[in-house]
Amino acid sequence: MEDVIKVKNLSKSYGNLKAVDDFTFLVKRGTVFGLLGANGAGKSTTIDCVLGTKKADSGVVSVLGMNPTTNRKELFEQVGVQFQESHYQENIKVGELCEVTASLYKKPADYKSLLGKLGVADKTNTLVQELSGGEKQRLFIVLALIPSPQVVFLDELTTGLDARARRDVWQILSKLKADGLTILLTSHFMDEVEALCDEICILEKGKAVFCGTVSEAISQSSCDKFEDAYLWFTDEEGIDNESL
Amino acid sequence: MKAFRTLLKTELKLSLRGMDMLIFAIIMPVIVLVVLGIIYGSKPAFEGADYTFIQQSFGALTSIAICAGGVMGLPLVVSDYRSKKILKRFKVTPISPVTILLVEVTIYFLYALISLLTLFTVAIIFFGFKMQGNILQFILGWILVMISMFSIGMMVGGIAKNSKSAGIIASVLYFPMLIFSGATLPYEVMPTTMQKVVDILPLTQGIKILKFATLGLPMDNVLLPIIAMVAIAAICSFVAVRFFRWE
Repeated sequence: MEDVIKVKNLSKSYGNLKAVDDFTFLVKRGTVFGLLGANGAGKSTTIDCVLGTKKADSGVVSVLGMNPTTNRKELFEQVGVQFQESHYQENIKVGELCEVTASLYKKPADYKSLLGKLGVADKTNTLVQELSGGEKQRLFIVLALIPSPQVVFLDELTTGLDARARRDVWQILSKLKADGLTILLTSHFMDEVEALCDEICILEKGKAVFCGTVSEAISQSSCDKFEDAYLWFTDEEGIDNESL
Repeated sequence: MKAFRTLLKTELKLSLRGMDMLIFAIIMPVIVLVVLGIIYGSKPAFEGADYTFIQQSFGALTSIAICAGGVMGLPLVVSDYRSKKILKRFKVTPISPVTILLVEVTIYFLYALISLLTLFTVAIIFFGFKMQGNILQFILGWILVMISMFSIGMMVGGIAKNSKSAGIIASVLYFPMLIFSGATLPYEVMPTTMQKVVDILPLTQGIKILKFATLGLPMDNVLLPIIAMVAIAAICSFVAVRFFRWE
């Protein structure tokens, strides 16, 4: 299978702090890749460097065979992005935000049918700030899908959602994956990662402490459950330090 | 182009929904014009002057919208869109974030233009206003003042740490210029000492250009203000481009 995202020896520091330290990973076409780790472990910085919104200190990044900085215009016709924080104008309506987003691309998808697919078609005339948390996240998925992308980046898509809304989002993502979309996501919910991700990397202070499948993570740790395995991997370094 | 047009349409709607520019750039200048008209009528600017008070103040009034858009509107929207990560979002699309900045500049240009046309119409109909100078000269001066004020706004919006500090800097620039540069309170009614103090405000100099152009007075006398406007535009644009923070 073709590697859609290739990251090799990526490093990025802020002053003395190594946010990402020699990180290498591949994401295959049509798979869901999960980037895990505590807050401040380097997930968002990694996404920023992969997208070219932050400049890496060293390392090589390619998405769909293109360099995100030098091939920006071409690449982002085919890439959808949802950042962690909401980022829309005050007093903008759902329909307006979709229309503006669609105008940025040469061949945008029909946002009205996307809104329908995600069950928010009736919200076109609603102000974005008046949507509920779940509706907002659905809208952000719509925005990420408007380019008719081959790859989407979703940063903590389900944070702040209730259980029902979270399950709905999972279902939507599974469907997109079945349609051949490649997804890179970050998440704090291990049940979500187990349900969605084909491969994961666990980051700890900018370093990858584990890369592989969920079941590999479980078998490499001495735990039975993935959540325990995750904690086992992220605590390891701390335990080592204490034993010194 | 499609992106620019759609963005312009939407941002214009958002701006009108906000109402503040409609009030400060379109309605307020007309109110000041009417008040000055009621107080001074169509009397000569001073005894023996061959132009009216309203003619003398017309240029200043047209700068109110330029000042509101350039020094208040632009810095606020630029810093707001940065802190809301809207500029960053544009970086992960095929369109450059510069496009949305151009859209905002266009919007504030439109406000200034509409204000100019409204003032022109009201002044002609109600106060017998007549442009004594060369209209082309006036338009060139108006554009120069606009470029200069907008570049101040771009600089403030581009380099301010966050929306809050942009708001403070914008207020510190906007309110003194609105009140003391002659835009609302006529420069000519100020005591000479006060005039000397307010001469340091960039807009005071800009208004002199507009006044001379309206009245058809020799433009050689405003060479210094013209140089000041060009210098401000050059310096602020340079700083804005060089130190602009996208996030």
